[in-house]
Amino acid sequence: MNIINILKDSYHIMEKDLLALRRNRESVAALIILPIAFLLLFGYIFPSATIEQHMPVGIVNLDNGQASIAFVTQIETLNKNSGAMNILNYSSVEEAKTQIDRGNIYGTFIIPPGFSNNLTNGKSANVIVYVDNSNPQLSSSVESAASNTITGLNGMQAEINVVKMGSTTVNAQSTVFPFTQNIETTIPGKSNYFNFLAPGLMIMIVMITVMTGIPEAISKEREMGTFDGMLSAPINQISIILGYTASLCVKGFAQVILVLTIAIIFFGVTVQGSILLAFFLLLLGIFSFVGIGILAVSSSKNQATGTTIVNLIMFPMMFLAGIFFPIQQMPWFMQDISKIIPLTYAADAMRKVMLLNANIGDVLTQILILVGFGIVTMSMAVILFRKSMTS
Amino acid sequence: MTEFALELNIITKKFDNFTAVDDLSLKVKKGEIFGFLGPNGAGKSTTIRMLCTLSKPTSGSAKIAGHDLIKEPSKVREKIGLVAEKMIMYDDLTAAENLRFFGKLYKMPKQKREERIDQLLNLVDMQKWKDTQISKFSTGMKQRINVIRALLPEPEILFMDEPTLGLDPQTTFSIREIIRDINNKGVTVILTTHVMTEAEVLSDRIAIIDHGKIAALDTPQNLKNILSKNDTSIFTAKIMNLTSKMIEKIKSLKVVTALAQQDDHNLKISANGAGALNQIIDTIRIEGGDISSITNSNEPTLEDVFLTVTGKEIRDHANEKSNILQHGNNPQDRVR
Repeated sequence: MNIINILKDSYHIMEKDLLALRRNRESVAALIILPIAFLLLFGYIFPSATIEQHMPVGIVNLDNGQASIAFVTQIETLNKNSGAMNILNYSSVEEAKTQIDRGNIYGTFIIPPGFSNNLTNGKSANVIVYVDNSNPQLSSSVESAASNTITGLNGMQAEINVVKMGSTTVNAQSTVFPFTQNIETTIPGKSNYFNFLAPGLMIMIVMITVMTGIPEAISKEREMGTFDGMLSAPINQISIILGYTASLCVKGFAQVILVLTIAIIFFGVTVQGSILLAFFLLLLGIFSFVGIGILAVSSSKNQATGTTIVNLIMFPMMFLAGIFFPIQQMPWFMQDISKIIPLTYAADAMRKVMLLNANIGDVLTQILILVGFGIVTMSMAVILFRKSMTS
Repeated sequence: MTEFALELNIITKKFDNFTAVDDLSLKVKKGEIFGFLGPNGAGKSTTIRMLCTLSKPTSGSAKIAGHDLIKEPSKVREKIGLVAEKMIMYDDLTAAENLRFFGKLYKMPKQKREERIDQLLNLVDMQKWKDTQISKFSTGMKQRINVIRALLPEPEILFMDEPTLGLDPQTTFSIREIIRDINNKGVTVILTTHVMTEAEVLSDRIAIIDHGKIAALDTPQNLKNILSKNDTSIFTAKIMNLTSKMIEKIKSLKVVTALAQQDDHNLKISANGAGALNQIIDTIRIEGGDISSITNSNEPTLEDVFLTVTGKEIRDHANEKSNILQHGNNPQDRVR
């Protein structure tokens, strides 16, 4: 009976809050803009894993033999297929270096004099790859593109050499490349940074909405004086917490669905696992975060303090929870910190479910940690909230 | 069933070291309009907040509509309505949506709720604004909705904290009409005010409250009678060269029970006993005071009562800021 009343009152409070939201265009706009901005911003500022395409790279041929001309043609042909580089010809090393200094090309191939001679005399012919390493990310991309090209050319030449040696009984390709590899991935298709980002971003947006939303809503009610109206009405104070949490859940889920839709349509994100389980994890995430928000608002006198406390807790969580880059890339002490953050587990579980089609048993550890964290913070929050209401 | 709507038994509220309400005990009969009169900071609002279950008393007990304030707060909440100083309504919602929301929290059946909303909107002449957002209302219109919001669940006791503060005279008048009207229908009304006339024209009984304590409690007429009974006279003296030393001297006279400085020249003096007027005049003259007039009010006002029982004028607190602006006085130089 009592519980039914609590739920009914929570529903009325949620209904009221959503109605007020619908009437307020600015709040609706903020609700929509935030997740889109996050998706675009965080989706594009971080380096993507794939090698860049069409990197401008120079080529300087200082040799005047036949072999070097053939070599240049081969580079160009091979590159045409991969599209990794845009190859530009320069007549001198100085000219190419000037272009590098001006930022027009990222690096250059230099074919030194005597290249053709070496080849015809049966020696190894050296090619210099001159790379601008003032930008580490770019230089490693150029290096790998250049060395891929040289390796490819080596293979081609080796196969020709084997055939030339006159043995018809062996397969030239398997002689040169006795080992081959086929890379298969957990997620079909090319790896996509948005696939990594989307699940974490979804749970993070819900976290931000709930954690900032609770102090905002309750401080606003308190400062407007409307809180007294609810507290002097015959309702359980838990209804206020539940009602606002429910309202924020609706808002958070609307944002998440928006993010997911955009990610699928525009960024080629694929969902492998159960979307229902993912939504369950989102709810669980809310349960574990909402207590922090209530604790913040209960221990502060006004909205400014409440928001500051929440931001202080939320900001490190956003960056240490492995949402934007894997935790494994962090130094060990940061990894230790990220292990005590609930968002880490929520994001991890979300990713496993959405990308790897993990079932509830696979993410049970994460679920238990979130439930435990939620129970502890919520119990503290409810006690403190009740106390702060009747001071 | 008890005949009292309110029974306060040595209720105290402390904030850290500050005592806002100090051992308050009183009884309010059912059907009364009871006024708490006092300057800002006297403890009126804190008292109302405690009685509405919004603030826990530090010590003491109370019965509201027959229910124990501490032990049965939810029972108390079912019986009371609150018109707080800050209006209780959501700007983004319409008048009807606001009323509906609170009706639901009080678990009113739908049909009854809708009927009551229409009935109350008619009472305050706001029927045609039913579906308009609160943000488009004037302060007076908002306050009318604020009052009927508290009346919606048909409370036995209505608490009103400064119900006419900041309203224009017309709205003030109509709010007072509504208060009388609902009181006639049997609702006990507890109101706080720092406006003398409001307390006087509305209340059946008044508690003058200062520093969290009751300084006097009676009907408005009986309060005024205190003055004639105990031979107290109130003088207003206009002294052109008024100094603070002069005020100190007058205050130190035994016959003077209270004194308030009204502005640069005027003093209000409450005095007791025979020859009081002569002693006061002598003191002023000795100090070289230039008396331009002294008047003695025959019919005491509630303001005179307030001065006598608290030793200060209510305006001192309530209008402190505007006084400073008008006269450019440093408040520390003034004697209270």
